[in-house]
Amino acid sequence: MDDQAPFPADTIVVGGDGIGEAPAPDFDPMMLSVLSSRFSAILREMSNGVLRASKSGVIKIARDMSCAILTYDHRLVCIEECIPVHAAAIDLTTRPLTELFDDIEEGDAFLNNCPYTGVTHHADLTLCVPVFFDGKPLFWTVSRAHHADVGAPIPSTYLPYAKTIYEEGLHFPGVRVERGYREIRDIIRMARMKVRVPDLWYGDYLAQVGACRTAERRIRELVEKYGTETVAAFVEAWMAYGERRAAAAIGTLPAGTWSYENRHDPLPGVADEGIPVRASVTVDPEEALITVDVRDNIDCIPGGLNLSETCSIAACRAGVFYNIDHTIPHNEGSARRIRVLLRDNCIVGRPRYPVGTSVATTNVTDRLVNAVSCCFAQIGPTHGMAEGGYQQALGLAVISGEDPRRDGQAYVNQMFIGFGGGPGLPGHDGWITYGGPVDGGMQILSPTEVDESMFPILFECRELAVDTLGHGEWDGAPGTLAVYGPVAGEMTAVYCSDGDTYPSKGVRGGGDGAPSVNQKRGADGALVTLPSFHEERCAPGEMFRFVTTAGGGYGEPTRREPAAVARAVDNGWLSKEKAEEVYAVALRLAPDGITHEVDGRETARRRQAQGGGAGG
Amino acid sequence: MGQPTPERYRVCIDIGGTFTDCVVSDDAQDLRIFKTPSTPGAFEQGFMNALALAAEGCGLALPDFMARVERIVHGTTVSTNALLEGKHAAVGLICTHGFRDILTLREAPRKPPFRWRLSYPEPFVPRPRTRGVRGRIDTTGTERAPLAENDVLAAVEDFRQLGVEAVAVCLLWSVVNGEHERRVGEIVRAAWPEVPVTLSHRLNPIAREYRRGVSAAIDAALRPVVSAYVQALERGLRESGYQSELMIANCLGGMMPPEEIAERPIYSVMSGPTLAPVAARRLADAPDLVVVDMGGTSFDVSAVRDGQLVISPEAMLTEFDMLGIPKVDVRSVGAGGGSIAHVDAGGLLRVGPESAGADPGPACYGLGGTRPTVTDADVVLGIIDPDYFLGGRMRLDRDAAERAVGTIADALGIELAAAARAIASTVDHTMIAAIEDITVQEGIDPRESYFVAGGGATALHMGQMARVLGVTGYMVPKFSAGLSAFGGLISDIVWEETATLVTDAARFDLDGVNGLLAALMERGRAFLARAGIAESGQRFEYAYLGRYQYQSWEIEVPFAARDGALAATDVAGLADAFHRMHERIYTIKNEDDLVEFTTWKVRAIGPAATDLAPASGAAPAREARAYGERRVHLPGRVGDATVPVYRGDDLAPGHRVAGPAIVEEATTTVLVPEDATAVVDDLGNYRVRLA
Repeated sequence: MDDQAPFPADTIVVGGDGIGEAPAPDFDPMMLSVLSSRFSAILREMSNGVLRASKSGVIKIARDMSCAILTYDHRLVCIEECIPVHAAAIDLTTRPLTELFDDIEEGDAFLNNCPYTGVTHHADLTLCVPVFFDGKPLFWTVSRAHHADVGAPIPSTYLPYAKTIYEEGLHFPGVRVERGYREIRDIIRMARMKVRVPDLWYGDYLAQVGACRTAERRIRELVEKYGTETVAAFVEAWMAYGERRAAAAIGTLPAGTWSYENRHDPLPGVADEGIPVRASVTVDPEEALITVDVRDNIDCIPGGLNLSETCSIAACRAGVFYNIDHTIPHNEGSARRIRVLLRDNCIVGRPRYPVGTSVATTNVTDRLVNAVSCCFAQIGPTHGMAEGGYQQALGLAVISGEDPRRDGQAYVNQMFIGFGGGPGLPGHDGWITYGGPVDGGMQILSPTEVDESMFPILFECRELAVDTLGHGEWDGAPGTLAVYGPVAGEMTAVYCSDGDTYPSKGVRGGGDGAPSVNQKRGADGALVTLPSFHEERCAPGEMFRFVTTAGGGYGEPTRREPAAVARAVDNGWLSKEKAEEVYAVALRLAPDGITHEVDGRETARRRQAQGGGAGG
Repeated sequence: MGQPTPERYRVCIDIGGTFTDCVVSDDAQDLRIFKTPSTPGAFEQGFMNALALAAEGCGLALPDFMARVERIVHGTTVSTNALLEGKHAAVGLICTHGFRDILTLREAPRKPPFRWRLSYPEPFVPRPRTRGVRGRIDTTGTERAPLAENDVLAAVEDFRQLGVEAVAVCLLWSVVNGEHERRVGEIVRAAWPEVPVTLSHRLNPIAREYRRGVSAAIDAALRPVVSAYVQALERGLRESGYQSELMIANCLGGMMPPEEIAERPIYSVMSGPTLAPVAARRLADAPDLVVVDMGGTSFDVSAVRDGQLVISPEAMLTEFDMLGIPKVDVRSVGAGGGSIAHVDAGGLLRVGPESAGADPGPACYGLGGTRPTVTDADVVLGIIDPDYFLGGRMRLDRDAAERAVGTIADALGIELAAAARAIASTVDHTMIAAIEDITVQEGIDPRESYFVAGGGATALHMGQMARVLGVTGYMVPKFSAGLSAFGGLISDIVWEETATLVTDAARFDLDGVNGLLAALMERGRAFLARAGIAESGQRFEYAYLGRYQYQSWEIEVPFAARDGALAATDVAGLADAFHRMHERIYTIKNEDDLVEFTTWKVRAIGPAATDLAPASGAAPAREARAYGERRVHLPGRVGDATVPVYRGDDLAPGHRVAGPAIVEEATTTVLVPEDATAVVDDLGNYRVRLA
């Protein structure tokens, strides 16, 4: 590290400090495995508790939630099955609590959902419980979950036009909600008054309380069993282990700097030309340090697409973690080897209060995660990945209305009907139920029968869409096509779809995925294309129709194994015409008269004529 | 001693991937265990081999022995193996038009979160063999579009061309109105009578199209395999002169007649390991048990709660595909004697899930394996005697074990014995995590459970796991290596009838629920009658799946119903039981919230004969005599200790063995930890108590 501060004054430097300074603590390697698996088990129990006991579909089905355990001094110990953008910088979430309060006690619980006190965005209600042992605070147990409604002016938790946080609904900037294990009821009353679905909200909140309290109890049992000193020594050794693993992985990469730029779709009236997102990644294998620099981006815009600081850091870290060995622990130690350079008042940096960040966890953050991954793709043909599909089309809309089948009871819920397709990457086609770059396949589509039983909704179809996938030696995953509408009563859908204009790009010669499409079919059957950022009502007889973005391809399509091309045709994801044209293969009907097989000789001839792609 | 030849025998044959275990009881309640290699490809061969071995062991010619056998229970791995190896029928799936990707989209996240070098798993039925048919039922059971019968015929034509051998049907909302599915079944059967058909709403009436669909597809895939297997078994038995009853174990922890399992073959999947908790429930007298079984490549854990087997609705077939039906909850992790140890780039020791399997096996087997395994570590530690492995039937190579474990010692810069101890401890903790997965995650404190150790290798590691978990007592059954087979011997005839009726505590549909329960009871009675259980011997248990309003993940709550009917005064009790169960599992309850009931279950039980193997108890205490001693490296100790070694044959009920000590049985070795005592109970089981 340079001795002189090498960065301008408005640069925010996160990570990369203290490298190599911490001596590796002497700790029994066996106890290291033991205690790390104990903490993982506690986290799994926590996540399971939130998932099972919660009430809104966004949490209980789609699992848009994450749990974490941090030291009391805000160092991430571990995360398990989580949403990467939720968890990768969750250390910022508890930090304000010890600054804001000087009377934290056993039995407290705090609620934080404010982007200016270290939370991703306002819908991610985050419950933080301090864990005491023998009167001393040792850890935080943290549960973050995306709530169905947080009392915004419109029934949605994504507000692209909310210029400031005054337009976002409820904020709890680190607020005590339990004292002595008892609920502070006025705070809860306030929340219940403001949200549209108070019982649902409270059920989800209780699930989070239960999970944090369970983990609190488990950690105390652990400390009781092994002793405070051993557990404290473990934490240091575990951080050092994470750092060693990350350093070893970075040390194997070539030195260099790579940059990448993509562009978020236009937001009419706010960013008519779209939003360019740039990242550069510098690998220093000798220092074993990766620097992600995102300062060269536009200033915050007057709308809700700005990133919170937590999302900016999480996106940069996630982009790196996606492209190195996944078995490295994702803790404070490994994060130390990733230096993130942010700028104040930058759309992907640190927003200036009270700038709006309502959509911070998805759209522009998705672009940023992809940009970092695509920097890695430039290192060489075994690195990185293409752009993964973008999200927030009508398949992830927040729907609302009154349910005539339940005496007009109000409903508001984010749907998980269709996900973007995953990016092609070396050795693997894209993950089909990918979602978007920020969660990367960690969410679950809701079953059609669950959605239809819970809401007055009817589906006409939900299938993978033909000729959408990004072609490559490794294909991006196809988009999803679905048609749905109200079975009774009027339904409002609010969404902010990215990828309608600028689809997911392929890398290293791979093709782009098809853009997303959002439409409404009138009672007369006519299709009308809807804007990307929009609120639309749908009456009985009318239907919404959407196609999600597909993933970009990785590598030249003419290098793809011809049999894999035939399989994609047989799966109905690729037309025979497209297959023959793009991949330079010759297909013919198999003896069954239904599936396809490769004409090897003709394929070789075509590929040779195209300039000698090796192919299968 | 000149005892008379027993007049009658009962037999259970449990076929696992590697070994076929056969446990025989006679009318004096004497138990014997026989082990023979499994015969993949023709498992019925191993089945007959086991019977021949048992006959020989009982000193009888096979026909004489078979004439005296009054019941054979069989836990089979034939369906599990068919699924693992993909050697099952090619299934054609008929689903609702516009929903052909239900088996691709699934209900599972990619995991773990940062693992990207992973290909999307193929759906159980490939898309070319999936056909949509027009027609739609909605959530209320109303027909919104009529079934397009021509679509069904077109699908059948395609299926013929594609070499389909079995058909599964899963249409949206068939659980509410099964008319379209029934009609599809009729059309397929009429057009193509030789092909078996599984209808999802008949097999597995739950609302979640992926789970119902995948279970129907798995069931269809297994029909030809399991039918052929059952026929081969019955033929083999007939030829051997056997004329009595054959029962097949199901994954609900019971058994059923072979023709019933052939009708719903998915219920035979992974059924062998589900017999372990059945056995443990009989052997141990505690209401809450944890049953652990460490084999060569995997470690299975199951639980008994309040004397009941734990049934899970979410059993997995693979990492990403569910089985879709309820099944006795057995969790499996890749930890066993053959698990391979290595040191990763950060200097952390890792053991498993990669396994040396049986071939080449651990380095000490001398079959060409060089990588260090858990068994090698146990040899280096002195816990396994290389000269008395499997009762001396297999000699192990101690030098090879030391060389293999030496690579770990070098990588970690520690002594050989410390490396071996680290390997053993690491695998212990993998197993502990699996134990916690099925206990703490489900709201059970493992310290309040009694542990039963099955499987040949478990008793070497159980003591240390017990210490870490804070468990104070456990049992190593005399026949721990054949625990599942013993479970089969004493299992009940069991079947579950299930139906969906959504109601809640505020507007409880008493008549509806009672009508439903009566219908389920009737079906259960019919099943038991077919299985030969007289009405007086029939028993029924009841449970519902419940949730708070707007929750989606139901929890199962047992309830009592006199003669299968509820009274209006019972409703409050139903809800109370839900609040208690919810708090137990999730720490929280909300008594102001509305409890909803969704699914109703009736378990039909034909109890097994109770004269066999009563719960074991204490025998008068006496001190045991060691036959030798050995140098062993014990946990938490520096250097070796000299430890007495006992032979199981020398021990009788009442004998006490003070730890540290080793007891060698022909099919298992027990390490009695320091500060612990093992007492032989009146059935020959080892009861270990830790201080």
